Amino acid sequence: MREHDVVVVGAGLAGMRAAIAAHEAGVDVALVTKLHPVRSHSGAAQGGINAALGNETEDNTDNHTFDTVKGADYIGDQDAIEILCERAPLEVYQLEHWGAVFSRQEDSGKIAQRPFGGAGFPRTCYAADLTGLVILHTLYTVVVKYNIPTYEEWFVTDLVTDDDGNAVGVVAYDMIHGKIETIGAKAVVMATGGAGRVYRPSTNAHASTGDAMSLALRKGVPLKDMEFMQFHPTTLAANGVLVTEGARGEGGYLLNKDGERFMSEYAPNKLELASRDVVSRAEATEIQEGRGIDGCVLLDLRHLGRDRIMERLPQIRELAIAFAGTDPIEEPIPIRPGAHYHMGGVHVDNWGAAPHMPGLFAAGECSCVSVHGANRLGGNSLLEAVVFGARAGEASAAYAQEAPTPHVPGNAADETQARIEELLLRENGPRQGEIRDELAAVMQEKVGVFREDATLREAKAKVDELKARFQGVTVDDKGKTFNTDLIHTIETGYLLDLADCMVTGAIARHESRGAHSRTDFPDRDDENWMMHTLAYLDDGEIRLDYSPVTMTKYEPQVRSY
Amino acid sequence: MASTTFRVFRFQPDSGDLESYHQDFSLDHEEKTTVLDALLRIQNEQDGTLAVRYSCRSAICGSCACKVNGKTVLACMTQVEEAKAESGSSTLQVDPIGNFAPIKDLVVDMTSFWEKFKAVKPYLIPDGPAPQKERLVPKAAMEKVAKESACILCAACYSECNSLAADPEFVGPAAFAWGYRFAADERDAQRKNRAKLYSGQHGIWDCTRCMFCNERCPKGVDPRDAIEKLGAIAFQEKVTKDKGARHAKAFLISMRTGGKLNEQLVGGLTDPVGGAFNAPLALRMLQKGKLPASPLTHRVKNRDQVTKLIKNVKETI
Amino acid sequence: MPRQFAYYPGCVAEFSSKELNATTKALAPLLDIELLPMPQATCCGAGDIAEAKPNLYLTLNVRILSEAEEMGADILTICNVCTLNLRRANKMVREDPRLLEQVNGELVNAGARPYRGTIDVTHLLWYLATEEGLSLLEQRGPKGLGGLRVAPYYGCQLLRPSSVMGFEDPDRPQSLERLITALGGEVADYDGKTRCCGFPIILAREEVALRESHVALAGARDAGAQAMVTPCPLCHLAMDAYQRKTEQLMGEEYAMPVLHLPQLIGLALGLPTQTMEFKRHFTSVDEVLQTVGA
Repeated sequence: MREHDVVVVGAGLAGMRAAIAAHEAGVDVALVTKLHPVRSHSGAAQGGINAALGNETEDNTDNHTFDTVKGADYIGDQDAIEILCERAPLEVYQLEHWGAVFSRQEDSGKIAQRPFGGAGFPRTCYAADLTGLVILHTLYTVVVKYNIPTYEEWFVTDLVTDDDGNAVGVVAYDMIHGKIETIGAKAVVMATGGAGRVYRPSTNAHASTGDAMSLALRKGVPLKDMEFMQFHPTTLAANGVLVTEGARGEGGYLLNKDGERFMSEYAPNKLELASRDVVSRAEATEIQEGRGIDGCVLLDLRHLGRDRIMERLPQIRELAIAFAGTDPIEEPIPIRPGAHYHMGGVHVDNWGAAPHMPGLFAAGECSCVSVHGANRLGGNSLLEAVVFGARAGEASAAYAQEAPTPHVPGNAADETQARIEELLLRENGPRQGEIRDELAAVMQEKVGVFREDATLREAKAKVDELKARFQGVTVDDKGKTFNTDLIHTIETGYLLDLADCMVTGAIARHESRGAHSRTDFPDRDDENWMMHTLAYLDDGEIRLDYSPVTMTKYEPQVRSY
Repeated sequence: MASTTFRVFRFQPDSGDLESYHQDFSLDHEEKTTVLDALLRIQNEQDGTLAVRYSCRSAICGSCACKVNGKTVLACMTQVEEAKAESGSSTLQVDPIGNFAPIKDLVVDMTSFWEKFKAVKPYLIPDGPAPQKERLVPKAAMEKVAKESACILCAACYSECNSLAADPEFVGPAAFAWGYRFAADERDAQRKNRAKLYSGQHGIWDCTRCMFCNERCPKGVDPRDAIEKLGAIAFQEKVTKDKGARHAKAFLISMRTGGKLNEQLVGGLTDPVGGAFNAPLALRMLQKGKLPASPLTHRVKNRDQVTKLIKNVKETI
Repeated sequence: MPRQFAYYPGCVAEFSSKELNATTKALAPLLDIELLPMPQATCCGAGDIAEAKPNLYLTLNVRILSEAEEMGADILTICNVCTLNLRRANKMVREDPRLLEQVNGELVNAGARPYRGTIDVTHLLWYLATEEGLSLLEQRGPKGLGGLRVAPYYGCQLLRPSSVMGFEDPDRPQSLERLITALGGEVADYDGKTRCCGFPIILAREEVALRESHVALAGARDAGAQAMVTPCPLCHLAMDAYQRKTEQLMGEEYAMPVLHLPQLIGLALGLPTQTMEFKRHFTSVDEVLQTVGA
């Protein structure tokens, strides 16, 4: 058996930042990732990372905190949001010191900042429209520099607990060598990213299957606020690929089929730079009411001019040409809202520790601290990943330094082994692809931007049916080496768990808040619903519970932009 | 709707068969379908044993580089109908990227690629403690490395590098794009040491300038240009011992003496011991009149202009 | 009226591969081309100066472009490397007026003429592989190549990067094939035709270079070629002058005559063999001459 003090699952921004922090704290930390670290989906983030540096205009942590609290529609935990915004400048400076190639101001040489949705000031630091890539690479270069052991293309199949219910390691399938192994640890940090693949279209990578959430859920750890899935206002019609909010931050317009800047109807002050939930609902309304074009509205960048587009948004141009056949220098891009970011995740505290399982930590999109509440602001996801990644790394290292030698059950891998062998022997059932497709379709159709009781219940029935069918799922590939069929099948099981949590949470929440917008309960209901949803898995069924929201100094207000 | 035959490279070591082969899959699909979408549909609907690396399907994670009709591309960024039109064939052959050994089907063993990436010390090594806030870097200085910072490590360049095919130990284009990205970053303090590190055997002077890397890079990184700029940095740091650097130096001397290339001089200066002067080949070249005798024949008109330019033009790398 | 070009043969064709220059000059009248000499033109730097002193490379090449501009004629080359270097410099300054201004400042300081950006650089192959060029060859009534089986060898720098070169699809080039066919030859097709000859590193990394040229030589041989034709004198040196060394290294025999592009045309149009100076080749072209009936 392999052993480390701390094992970090996932090597995107949160995972690598956690591993670096743990390494700097002096413990033996290893990364386990089903992809090579640089393939992680953090690299697809485009627009930027928020920090109140005040480089462009006066700004401060309080402003950032308030914007985030408001953006979250008041169910973000305010103490956590304060931590996020206070540490933001430090983390951005740290990334810069490690070599991140941020775009710079012309004269001062300071980091440049652009306006973003829901933010009162230009606060989003960026590297053209490749911010996620640049930060992901920066962290990877530090991982290389520190020589942090990395199990690349190891797919985690189980979270290992000892007799007392402490997290003491993971079981993983080494894809290239076709072996199943246990990696023991005093602490486990989960950082596997989002579950956007529950939907289609989605801006998320194929690999964004929310693995950690399901692994934790199955071991009795609750998931928090799972009903809140963010729909990004600008995704390409062809395949759901993201078009950064930076496009609107740089001054892009949203137009309906009559060429009107319709956001003036929905958010007269902030227009295109209202919060994402607001803009997505506006677009969906325009499209529903017949003012769209083939199910889309238009993102018009032409007035920015070639030079600005080439300098600030080069990737957007490249993607629009490749996937939409549209050069934004010449014509507007057809876009629509698409599943993008999951506010919910593994229930953890402000240090990323799971209160229900000692030794388990989580950070990044797979976790829910919660700083994003019901709606995340653009530019806050990269920030959350590095801030709470670092904190989870620090906390897990401190925990590991105190923890006794873990008792890793010698047969930890047996269950996975048996499960996989049984799966490989199974014949004549459905394949994972069809189950996944049907799941994504029903979630898109019935658990989308607008929701209501009847259709949510239809979705729940469909999820239950798919879960039942999944019991007989079969895989084509019976081999050991790089068995993607097997991995996709296991991932599909994860997605079904998570979809169930999302739908069940959405049916129960009788209000509209942030990204959760109920046509049958159109208003926010602070009296009854100012609380976090906790979803548990009990005998295969989702059971809900609730926990209070932490408030510090920001009283809930009517939210308008 | 459209229909396409995909002739896919197969290598299935688990089956006990260690020979690779191609297998045809026909697929009816929408006009707008990428090669990756098609491969995933084949995987889902026809043959779950097909192994492919992929993730983001938006041309940023760098997982899905493969060869389509012999040309290395990102599968997620390649439209099936466009690739067919380009090659004039209704069949698309899909192969793994080159210069790697296969693991299974389109999945290759990229160990060498990552090792070489690490070998260029791909991280910032600044001098002294960091300031409290960000280091101030003029916009233009930061933009010097912006292009190379967009490298997604997909290995499309590596796949078709001609020097690598001839010398598997050549560090290769992607790693050197990263090498340049740090050597030219004004926050890094290791410029000279990097120049030395990159100038060794299998280093920058191994690049044969086949330009495949620039041609294939899906992100416009132009790795060959980065290697060229590393050469210039080596010159600026006076790291010019390697035969490759001496070769370039000989061009400069040649230019200074007459304005034109003097092959005899270049051969002699590049490799005084084994170079064109002394090798038996040189003798035969002399016999064939391929080594002109006098450098004086190389003088261009208005040579003083050239001399002035050599003296005046400042390098800004 | 013959088409006038500022003729930039490049250093190799002027010196070690004189046969290429001699053949091109002899061929020009038959192709209705007038080659104007460029007495001030320096070496393009062959990529080496760019590698050592990028700004100097740019300035020297713009100086060459400027000389042609003064002559009022586009540049014609007969070398891949010169073509790439001149075209690249041209593209750089044409796309960036501030850069052009900077370079012109240097040129004027040194007493040279500033460049306005009006010159195009083309290669003899490109000039001939158009419909006009091919019909011109047809009009000359070629006596033909007698079915000579010829392996087209492009090398690298006339094809890539296509953003600079742009004449044809760098992966499926057809210009040499069209010429070979038009001249009555037979095309021996093979994969290695667009791969590197290794010449740029032949002095610094000889073995690596020879392994590269092997790919094309072996490919052409296996395709049953009786000769290889190339538009680049550096490829020619690698393929011809070094061929025996490659044979020794790889333990294989190619016995592959390598023709400069103008020599192939010259053979088809009946240029005297002495003019084309085949005696300067390392690998004998006797069998080629027999097949063609020269």
